[in-house]
Amino acid sequence: MLILGITTSTMQVGCAIGGHEGVLASIHSSRGKRHAESLAPSIEFLRRQARVDLGEIGCVAVDVGPGLFTGLRVGIAAGKAMAHALRIPMVGVASLDLLAFPVRWSPRLIVAAIDARRGELFTATYRQVPGGVQRLGGYQISSPADLAGDLEATREEVLLVGDGGLRYCDAFADLANVELGDQGLAHPSAAALVQLAHARALREDFVKPWELEPLYLRRPDAEINWSTRDVLESQD
Amino acid sequence: MPVDPRDAATLVARTSSVEATQGLAAALASLAKPGDLVVLAGDLGAGKTAFVQGFGRGLGVGEPITSPTFTLVQEYVGRLPVHHVDVYRLDQLSEVVDLGLSELLDDEGIVLIEWGDAILPMLPADLLEVRLTFGAADDDRTIVLRSSGRSWLRRMASLVEAVAPWAGSGSSEVTPC
Repeated sequence: MLILGITTSTMQVGCAIGGHEGVLASIHSSRGKRHAESLAPSIEFLRRQARVDLGEIGCVAVDVGPGLFTGLRVGIAAGKAMAHALRIPMVGVASLDLLAFPVRWSPRLIVAAIDARRGELFTATYRQVPGGVQRLGGYQISSPADLAGDLEATREEVLLVGDGGLRYCDAFADLANVELGDQGLAHPSAAALVQLAHARALREDFVKPWELEPLYLRRPDAEINWSTRDVLESQD
Repeated sequence: MPVDPRDAATLVARTSSVEATQGLAAALASLAKPGDLVVLAGDLGAGKTAFVQGFGRGLGVGEPITSPTFTLVQEYVGRLPVHHVDVYRLDQLSEVVDLGLSELLDDEGIVLIEWGDAILPMLPADLLEVRLTFGAADDDRTIVLRSSGRSWLRRMASLVEAVAPWAGSGSSEVTPC
């Protein structure tokens, strides 16, 4: 089965097609915030270069964040629309898992950090296991200073990957046990998404397009207090 | 986020036409800095969109600014990028998360939110609230500017100066609140 993977949770837009024979083709671009403009043409170019008909795609995998909502809503909406139209199932994978997967051979503690903007980071911690990485604990929101404190306290060699570590590299510069992954490891890779989704697809671990949701780490559970609006509308 | 009362101040202005409201908004726009947040409060027809139109003109936005009630967020390019948001159609605070406000505010642009006073729990402490209320005549408006947080408070002197031509009750009242 061929899988189309879409990643849009950072300023990078990525898409890839692959299956049991590995990743057939991938495109990544991170110039500016043009997710809405570049995703569909990228998928079309990818499909042609990989010589894949849309009908051959059996699953759409999407990066569900945590990440930037201006990008996530483009990727998730596009993925859902394609899955609906092609009547195929979906797989959702967390952005931070996608950052950790390409460095799965490192024996160090792996920490993935995405720039959540306005001085915050989305983070998760991983350790190498046979065939991949295992996440230790949940996805978290942290400040660069708090994360630096946590990393120092681990007293372990740490590999910090993701655009969050790069943006706030000064916060981690004095930590002797922390090495920063370079720009090539800064954004979730669509190729990694296809690889991870393929393992899930083999287990038929799918979600339906209408059930797939982005991963929210700070979602308030309250209604807007619309005293003003409701008074106005009751007068109409 | 609770704001220390010492970090808030209020200014009152009065206008008697849409053009005057837009002129006041354009004068305020000259003080705008990247990452600024302006919250617009007031009933339907009070002039929130008109205010944004004046503000956009002050920032050199050439294209017409229209109400974003149905698009939720519209973007314009002037001296700085302008993100014009309207939350009137939203019912849950969680829907505000989907607008990606953190990203818009981090984008070196200005964010103006119509009905933003309804989602204050979701907004950062640094903001300028512009409350438009109806006056005696049809086109009279009282415009209360409330700066919250240090970023706007540091600009209070320039704010008083910018608003001076429209200052309420013949003086530029600045009252700590």
